[in-house]
Amino acid sequence: MSDLGSALVFWPAAALMLVTGLYVFITSSMARAGLLLLAALGFEGLVFLALASEFLGVLQLLMMSGEMVIMVFFMVMFMPDPGGLMGMDMVHQKRRSAAVAAGAGVALALVAVLTDWPARVVGTDAPDVRAIGFEVMGRSMLTFLFAAMTILFAMVGGVLLAKRGGRYG
Amino acid sequence: MSDLTPLAVLAVALGGAAAVAVLEQLVAGARPAPIALARSAAWTLRQPLSRPAVRDSWLFHLAPGLLLVAAVGALAFVPWAPGFRGIDLSTGAIAFPAALAYVTPAIFMAGWGAGRPLAVVGAFRWLALMLAYAMPLAMVITAVAAPAGSLRPADIVEVQHAVPMALAQPLALALWLPAVAAVCFLPPFDLPQAGSELGGGAFGEYRGLDAALVALAQKVLVVAVSGMTATLFLSGWHGPLLPPALWMALKTIAVAALLLSAGRRLPRLEIDRVLSLAWKVANPLAILAIVWAGLLTLVFYV
Repeated sequence: MSDLGSALVFWPAAALMLVTGLYVFITSSMARAGLLLLAALGFEGLVFLALASEFLGVLQLLMMSGEMVIMVFFMVMFMPDPGGLMGMDMVHQKRRSAAVAAGAGVALALVAVLTDWPARVVGTDAPDVRAIGFEVMGRSMLTFLFAAMTILFAMVGGVLLAKRGGRYG
Repeated sequence: MSDLTPLAVLAVALGGAAAVAVLEQLVAGARPAPIALARSAAWTLRQPLSRPAVRDSWLFHLAPGLLLVAAVGALAFVPWAPGFRGIDLSTGAIAFPAALAYVTPAIFMAGWGAGRPLAVVGAFRWLALMLAYAMPLAMVITAVAAPAGSLRPADIVEVQHAVPMALAQPLALALWLPAVAAVCFLPPFDLPQAGSELGGGAFGEYRGLDAALVALAQKVLVVAVSGMTATLFLSGWHGPLLPPALWMALKTIAVAALLLSAGRRLPRLEIDRVLSLAWKVANPLAILAIVWAGLLTLVFYV
């Protein structure tokens, strides 16, 4: 993509990402909050695409959609006021959380601005890329697999605990 | 990708949707009446917008547009000819389901936004249906991409120049077809709208232009998944004598006709049965399909 094309995607997507992210905490409906979060994460995927992280962007767009809608479904199941009909406030401990958020935001911004980022473009066959690939697919694979199996067992176990035989057994 | 690609994709979407509308009549055994179809479409476009008062109105009103964006987005990753590959990403085979993934929030927004009981039931059913089709769909794409060693749809077409993937991996095709029929909420997987059962379900409250957008989006979805089926399994634009784009169009029409006629012949499946089939039968078989694809790749394609 050309520089102009990237800029045309990046700036609107980044702005919409921030706005939808903010509105997650302003709306009182669980369904709207979840879908706004999906919108924020989807725009983040577009930001990745604009920054030429094609795989990351596509994967973000793919994974977030289903996940967030399922999360909305769970919030609708478990929250007392899923539709926001009683105007429930989404924010608790306002002052303390605002302070923590501002502090973390400033710290992250400082890291982003003050870090001496490498300016060179790394090719796909560069030694660092190979090293990351071997790390992820080699030594770290056991950890990833173990975590994945643990999550899978937790999910199946949770469903089994909650289940009360359906129509087909 | 040239500057004209988006326009060309839109043209394929509109033309393809019209073709699917005619195909639906043919499959139903009726005489195709394109002029009557065009007249009824024009009549719908002339109607003033009539929108019911709903609680989550912006969710409700955004849903048809999002559905259409998802459908056209998915269509954009289908390569039609060596010279016209849509948006030719090196991750196109993942970008395709990534675009289709936005059908999920769209249908949820339609049903939840309407806030009527049957519409919400339709939306929740769609979520369950998504949990059924998503895994087989993703795993089959992995299996089909393995021989090509690439997630670029055009590379997957090229690797099939001798043997179409439908012959090399029939199991993957058998899992793929019901999954894509479910993505398009075609019968027998028309669970979110379920005309005779939920009175239109998630889309029951849409009228006029909104309803037309939903219908258009579903037809574009059929074009997109049929085109991707031709790309991934039927060796895409390869074929003797005829020009590549024509081969691709013929294969796409054949797949769309198969999907539509299967929908007319099979009774609507119940959601518990779909989930049980998906997780107890289709997902294990999809893992088997991946193992088969790996063996095939090691023996014949490396």
